[in-house]
Amino acid sequence: MNRWLTRRWPAPHWPSVRGRGRADAGALLLTAAVIAAVTLLAGAVPALLRAGADNAVQDTVRRAGQGSNVLVHANWEHDNGPTGGRVRMTRLAEDIDDFRARATYLLGPDLDTALRPPVAVVNGPILRITGGDVPRTFQFTYLAGDLGGPDVTWISGSAPGPAVPEQFIEIPSHGPPWPLQVGLSETDATALDLGPGDRIPVQDGHGQDKDVRISGIYRPADSADPAWQLAPALLRPVPGADGVGTTRFAGLLSRESLPDARLAIDEDQLRRTIHFAPEPDALTWDATETIASQVVKLKAASGASADRSQSLKWESQLDTVLRDARTQISAAFAQAAVLLAGVLTVTVLVLLLAADLLVRRRAPALRAARQRGAALPDLGTELIIESSVVSLSAAAVGLALARVAAPGVCWTWSVPVVLAGAVAGPAFGILAAARASRDRRQPANRAARRWILATGQLRRAVVESAVLITAVAAFVTLHQRGLLPVASDGDAGELTGDLVLPLGAVALGVLAAAIVLLRLLPVGVGFTLRQALRSRRPLAVFGAARAATTAGRALPLLVLVSATALASFALVVGATVTRGLADGAWSTVGADARLDIGADADAATPALAERIVAAPGVGQVVVAQVTDSARVFTESTLLTPRLVIVDAAAFQRLLATTPLPDAPALARLTAPGPGPGGVPALVRSSNGDLRTGTRLQLSRDDAPAIHLAAVGTAPSVGGADDVVIVDATALADAGLPAVPNTVWVTGPGAARAVSNSGVAADVVLRADVLRAQRVAPLTAGILRLAWTAAAALLALGLLGLTLSAAAGASERWQTLTRLRTLGLRPRDARWVAAGELLPPVVVAAVCGPLLGALLARLTLGPIELRLLTGQAADPAAVLPWWLFGLVSVALLAAAAVVVPVESALRRRDRLSEVLRAGDQ
Amino acid sequence: MSSEPLLRVRGVHRSFRTGPTVVPALRGVSFDVAAGTMVALVGRSGSGKTTLLNTVGGLDRPDAGSVHVDGTEVTALDEDGLSRLRREKVSYVFQSFGLIPVLSAAENVAAPLRLARVAPAERERRVELLLELVGLADHARQRPAELSGGQQQRVAIARALAASPRLLIADEPTGQLDAETGLSVMALLRGVVESEGVTVLVSTHDPVMMALADRVIRIHDGLLDEAAAGQPDEPAPDAG
Ligand SMILES: Nc1ncnc2c1ncn2[C@@H]1O[C@H](COP(=O)(O)OP(=O)(O)O)[C@@H](O)[C@H]1O
Ligand SMILES: [Mg+2]
Repeated sequence: MNRWLTRRWPAPHWPSVRGRGRADAGALLLTAAVIAAVTLLAGAVPALLRAGADNAVQDTVRRAGQGSNVLVHANWEHDNGPTGGRVRMTRLAEDIDDFRARATYLLGPDLDTALRPPVAVVNGPILRITGGDVPRTFQFTYLAGDLGGPDVTWISGSAPGPAVPEQFIEIPSHGPPWPLQVGLSETDATALDLGPGDRIPVQDGHGQDKDVRISGIYRPADSADPAWQLAPALLRPVPGADGVGTTRFAGLLSRESLPDARLAIDEDQLRRTIHFAPEPDALTWDATETIASQVVKLKAASGASADRSQSLKWESQLDTVLRDARTQISAAFAQAAVLLAGVLTVTVLVLLLAADLLVRRRAPALRAARQRGAALPDLGTELIIESSVVSLSAAAVGLALARVAAPGVCWTWSVPVVLAGAVAGPAFGILAAARASRDRRQPANRAARRWILATGQLRRAVVESAVLITAVAAFVTLHQRGLLPVASDGDAGELTGDLVLPLGAVALGVLAAAIVLLRLLPVGVGFTLRQALRSRRPLAVFGAARAATTAGRALPLLVLVSATALASFALVVGATVTRGLADGAWSTVGADARLDIGADADAATPALAERIVAAPGVGQVVVAQVTDSARVFTESTLLTPRLVIVDAAAFQRLLATTPLPDAPALARLTAPGPGPGGVPALVRSSNGDLRTGTRLQLSRDDAPAIHLAAVGTAPSVGGADDVVIVDATALADAGLPAVPNTVWVTGPGAARAVSNSGVAADVVLRADVLRAQRVAPLTAGILRLAWTAAAALLALGLLGLTLSAAAGASERWQTLTRLRTLGLRPRDARWVAAGELLPPVVVAAVCGPLLGALLARLTLGPIELRLLTGQAADPAAVLPWWLFGLVSVALLAAAAVVVPVESALRRRDRLSEVLRAGDQ
Repeated sequence: MSSEPLLRVRGVHRSFRTGPTVVPALRGVSFDVAAGTMVALVGRSGSGKTTLLNTVGGLDRPDAGSVHVDGTEVTALDEDGLSRLRREKVSYVFQSFGLIPVLSAAENVAAPLRLARVAPAERERRVELLLELVGLADHARQRPAELSGGQQQRVAIARALAASPRLLIADEPTGQLDAETGLSVMALLRGVVESEGVTVLVSTHDPVMMALADRVIRIHDGLLDEAAAGQPDEPAPDAG
């Protein structure tokens, strides 16, 4: 009664399913292993990168330091008194507390969790300390967090108190200086040689004396308290804060002395700011977009209110810092996706090859099943059950392992692999079974045969042109649009659907090229065959004939070429990033080691350089004065490039003997002959304001400006894009002797020599910089992925080679056996087998690396590797030829092993058995 | 007859093991074949024809018994010896023609001559002659796929004759051909026995084809019919 139902639902024959599974357990297990391994990779990598992304955001914010703080300024209420004087506002500290609370409230919940508790900073103007022979400056500062200022111990005297006990007092606007008490740090006090009760001799910008007295000397309870970083002069004298050669001191205000600070200076000279430092550990990749847009909103709202006291002015680079981090992370995601797409493409091809092998092995059984009357839907169901069980359970294992290895797991990337594993086998199987029940004989009719041939070729041409067109479209999209998601509101920063094409460009390009090679291979093999027919070596003829017979098989060549090409591409990415990091470290440091000498030690620099030269293992030592934001005028504008005053010849030698880009133009700085009407200089600028021929003036404080003439293009120094380089001697002759503050040292002993220099200076070692860059979360992740992908692709290629050898084995041994019946000797048979296996391997070994290199050339720019390496320009592809060689050799060696192994396995087969198998 | 028989088969046994069961395919087969004759091996499917032909031609080894071809004990040869035997004395024609698809008819015929390292000029002359013989002189440059089944089998026969063998073994050479084509192929074999002086041992189950043979050997469940085995060189009973 249920005939209709039983007809409709295919009925799998369970014993057949089990029997087939047992018979081909090896091939099924292999398929499962490939799926599990690739799912593990594809499941873990995105999760690891995501985790890395959080770290990268935190890292970037940490490195940006105070640049990523959120600041808010507000003006004071006027202090005009009823009689035209100024009123001492006793509640000023409470005012600050209110201001801090209001700013915190305005942050909103998202920003609030991402930022540390605020610190209010009230700064007086920069005052000059009179007397002494070096310029010194002084500033008084009030710090207040939610729990008050940073803790201090008063080691002598006491905390600053109020100048007057009265609650309310109005003073005349232009009266004598109002007295102010400040605390002084131990180190500042020693440096100034002052103690409690002493007056600090300070003047404001108009030369008016101020009455600032020391109430006590303090020692910070914890000098690492982040609040101190907002006013480091409160801890110790800070050189260079107010210009080259100056030193800044600072006095600490208390709640009680804050009202006096306001009266001690002109109205509006006391500035209050609330600082919110980001809490890097609280930042996540997910939250960056919201936080950045919140910051933008606050900045946009600045000054909207007309009310003087209400108007808050927000200021922060945090949004830009976060956006840069997002761009870098998106780039890393995209790069990982490109590599993963390559691995997945080859995996899918390998799975197709495995399915092909399985179906070839099963063809007799499937034919027999068909002849017994098994319906195609039933067979299909049986095969789908088997393949789904295999690929789903393998994927589950892979994803579970990924979950163990990574903080999360991403299953989207596994979909194509699981699909290929589940569908390819049944599809091939049903095709084979359907073909088995059709008439196997060629139609006798020529026209009919030609028709079949023509439709087959047309079908193939359509598929091939579809791949080619998609590949071209992918490349065009990649070059026009790039790989980064378009920033938009609500964009989660994830890879979006419109990116599929450009992300797959490399894999598609490889496929397209492999298809072209697939078309060319028969031509090449046909040529070889014709040559062989002319030769007198029978083995050459039969080998070439085998090659020509099998040259049309698509999968082996596709797998081998894509695997080697994409492995080579991954190697190029790895090598280019590695080189980019090395170059970056060279460019950051400028040598193997660099000493940045403080303002007070510069006089000793030449002697120091001589000491370093004498140390063992030191190559070159170059001394320079490097000034950032030097004031340089052209006819039209003021520029602030990095000014480098250096011995040009020595600097040129340094560049020539290190991986830093050479700068032969440096020779022009010391060229004899008629001067160009000024001290010759090399210039470089990011926006083209400075170029050869530009006339410049180097302004000085109290002397006439020095004329410079740009005679060439300067190299980048320390990664700076705006640079002016002059020769030290030439500049000294023009009246400005250099005060060296930088020492570049090369050689294996450079690090040690510099570290033992015994000078108070910042030591920057290239090895340290490089190490820091290598372990940066994204860089490390992409590097590791590139090497892993290369290894995985090579392994997939070798597996593909083995599978295609196995898939062709029975046909190959049929033919070899026929040749044996003609008198071919057993030991010669392997040469014929090699003749068949070698062409795709040789093509892949030769063309794969070249193709990978070519694609790298075409895509390294658009995939934004420079964002990862932090280079200014797109890095040139680094081609690791010896690694390419290794890939090729591995493939050739595997082919050289497969043939004898196969021959050994087949030696015991009797010819009669092989022939009987072939006749079935 | 004073001359030695070209083929002498004595007491050949061969059984196959599939799992626990042992299938005896040949159970003591003995017969002689005189040089220059065409002998048809006849029997139902599964009677042991292929097994016998394989054993005779050295493609399979018997469990017991001996085979001599033109004075050479086939059953005592090692692999290299067998290779030489195939190059010089025994050749085969199969049901599925077994041509190399990318080579022309002429190149397929030339294959054994290449293996025997016959000089090119001599090789070309011989190929031309053989294609003429099988009636395919006009198809020398065509590939197997461009030939009909009968033509392909003719190429296979020409190839089998290329190295001037003493014995040609053909296992159901007409199995994949329609009756008419099959008959013409059989007639060709009959012809080459006359023209090339080769001895042909051919298996078939078509009575019409049997008529072309000098002699018919019947095989049944791995045993020859006594009459045929006992009286060598007796003309086929139903030859017309
Ligand atoms: N390799 C083998 N394994 C198992 N049985 C075989 C094998 N070869 C032949 N046989 C069996 O031996 C018998 C004879 O087979 P065969 O010589 O092929 O007969 P024929 O050629 O007359 O059809 C058959 O029962 C066949 O099943
Ligand atoms: Mg048979």
